[in-house]
Amino acid sequence: MKRPVRLEAGQKLVLTANRLLDGRTVWWREDGGWDLRIGQAVLLDADVAEAALSRAMEEAQRKGVVGVYDTAVLPVVPPEPVTVREKIRAHGPTVHPEFAVETAQ
Amino acid sequence: MSVPVGHYQYDRIDRDFLQARIAEFEGQVKRRLDGTLSEDEFKPLRLMNGLYLQLHAYMLRVAIPYGILDSRQLRKLGEIARRYDRDYGHFTTRQNIQFNWIRLEDTPDILRELAEVDMHAIQTSGNCIRNVTSDEYAGAAADELVDPRVHAEVLRQWSTLHPEFTFLPRKFKIAISGSPNDRVAARFHDIGILARPGEDGAPVFRIFVGGGLGRTPVIGEELFDSVREEHLLATLEAILRVYNAHGRRDNIYKARIKILVQAIGVEAYREAVEAELGQMELDRYRLTPEAVAAIRARFAVPLLEAPDDADAVLTQQRRDDPLFDRWVRSNTHVHRDPGHIIATISLKPAGGIPGDATSAQIGRLADLADAYSFGEIRITHLQNVVLGHVRKDRLRDLWLGLSEVGLAEANIGLIGDIVACPGLDYCALANARSIPIAQKLGARFADTALQAEIGALRINISGCINACGHHHAGHIGLLGVDKRGEEFFQLTVGGRAENGAALGTILGAALPEDETVDAIARLVDCYLGLRESGETFLETLTRLGHEPFREAAYEAV
Ligand code: HEM
Ligand code: SF4
Repeated sequence: MKRPVRLEAGQKLVLTANRLLDGRTVWWREDGGWDLRIGQAVLLDADVAEAALSRAMEEAQRKGVVGVYDTAVLPVVPPEPVTVREKIRAHGPTVHPEFAVETAQ
Repeated sequence: MSVPVGHYQYDRIDRDFLQARIAEFEGQVKRRLDGTLSEDEFKPLRLMNGLYLQLHAYMLRVAIPYGILDSRQLRKLGEIARRYDRDYGHFTTRQNIQFNWIRLEDTPDILRELAEVDMHAIQTSGNCIRNVTSDEYAGAAADELVDPRVHAEVLRQWSTLHPEFTFLPRKFKIAISGSPNDRVAARFHDIGILARPGEDGAPVFRIFVGGGLGRTPVIGEELFDSVREEHLLATLEAILRVYNAHGRRDNIYKARIKILVQAIGVEAYREAVEAELGQMELDRYRLTPEAVAAIRARFAVPLLEAPDDADAVLTQQRRDDPLFDRWVRSNTHVHRDPGHIIATISLKPAGGIPGDATSAQIGRLADLADAYSFGEIRITHLQNVVLGHVRKDRLRDLWLGLSEVGLAEANIGLIGDIVACPGLDYCALANARSIPIAQKLGARFADTALQAEIGALRINISGCINACGHHHAGHIGLLGVDKRGEEFFQLTVGGRAENGAALGTILGAALPEDETVDAIARLVDCYLGLRESGETFLETLTRLGHEPFREAAYEAV
């Protein structure tokens, strides 16, 4: 099992996964769909994140995603992940500006 | 051309098998997409076909047996980059190519395209015997004793789909060389094999076991000094059987053969192998001269004809053009034929991504291989490309052709020739980004005259402890570490993969990403200030020890 994310003051959680068909990084929206833009991600507090995560994992096959997990973000617009790894997943590889991901709302 | 120069010619059986395997995988992909297979069930199946899921997309790793391709195959890789990837291919230290932007749905089609040119992605992942690597100058270098490709091919056939070794405790990597100058990092492989001529003309093999990098770096130990050709396969079979039976399966970090060899000692391992050999039916595994000859016949030998003045022409051209001369100095190696030369093409442009090539560059490399080297290309374990048989009087034309596509960097073996793994820009296991550091270092030392002045110096960068960038084997090694979500780099010095293999040792505390390049620049300055005439970085380090370098690197911290 993945260890739980430790949230610091002011941080929120978002859910993320990879799309089954093409492996692209996606973020969980309010309506339960998945989006390429982190700007569309729903921000969750720790107390509701667990239930959302279980639901998203259950629906993963039907929604065409794999490897669902949660990660901490700063609640700015668009939300900014806390770790370098998740920043890179949100924005695309830092070494090919032409592959940058559109993150806005 | 009926038989390709440099690699083995497939036959009907090989081709039919590939088609059957693709059809099988296509069915598995379908069942994954319709939900019949869960991700947990599908993952080992896709990995057996070289397909990983990385941070942004699937990654497909294509095998290049012993690193040798023909131009038709290389062109196909370029087409795949253009059609199915984002126009790039990435050459790796295992002499493979990786595509970083692959769609699961496209994979069966890609595998079909690969099969058209006798290529596949089988056994590029998983706990099996991986692609066998070999010397990038095989069959060409003047210093070679035995052409290792024929036996590399023997090993490829023996290890491909070997039913007993499909579920080893962990992945298994074999390298083979036939030169006294180790260009395959033999002692950093699970099995490293060095071939030399035996008394009766047939080769004999020196075998190292239990080398590797990763979490527990170990230099391989000699298991046998002189295995005869007829016993090569039996011996390897026995080594694998002992590992398969006794290697740990309870802990992924302790599952490689190196841990077993360390745990029981090389003497006990040798005894176990000898006991196994004693009860094996040796005749079944005997590698006969006829079998070797039959495989050798599937490799075409290039007709090495050159005008008498080829060498004189090259000498004159070098005199006339200092830039060309600098490239020849760093990027060529002596060929066994006096009219020919081996050219290494750097995939390390200053500020670029080590090992990356665009589809246009890949296509151009295929054209140049056709024009200058019998349509044959080799991928090196240092992420570069070699044309093995270039006529000396045509070398300058090749160099001019390379210049047109930005592939004439004169830095092989120098500080700009950096080895880096994909790191956190792509890799799901990474702690830190390897490529940006490589780019910054490349840019910092972009001046090729400065690089030549600094001399032999290898930098290797890995984004995590798995050590895909061989950082322990770098003269200067960088290991990415994660400190509370931030990137840091640990510096090692003194590693080497060549003859006299050594592991680098840690210089000091890990540095923040934005201080790392400056620290290395100070370290290099320190070397330039302290070296005695003719001394390489490693020699100065050996003479003076870590201290001056540690002080220089950490001076501002
Ligand atoms: C991006 C996807 C990759 C993943 C997920 C990956 C994963 C790993 C892992 C987990 C190990 C450690 C295995 C062990 O010690 O048991 C490893 C080792 C290694 N990888 Fe990779 N790797 C990747 C890419 C690469 C690339 C691009 C190269 C070549 C540049 C490479 C070359 C190697 C080598 C040579 C080792 C062996 C080190 C040793 O001897 O233990 N890998 N890799
Ligand atoms: S060393 Fe680590 S970061 Fe680099 S490719 Fe290997 S697993 Fe990924």
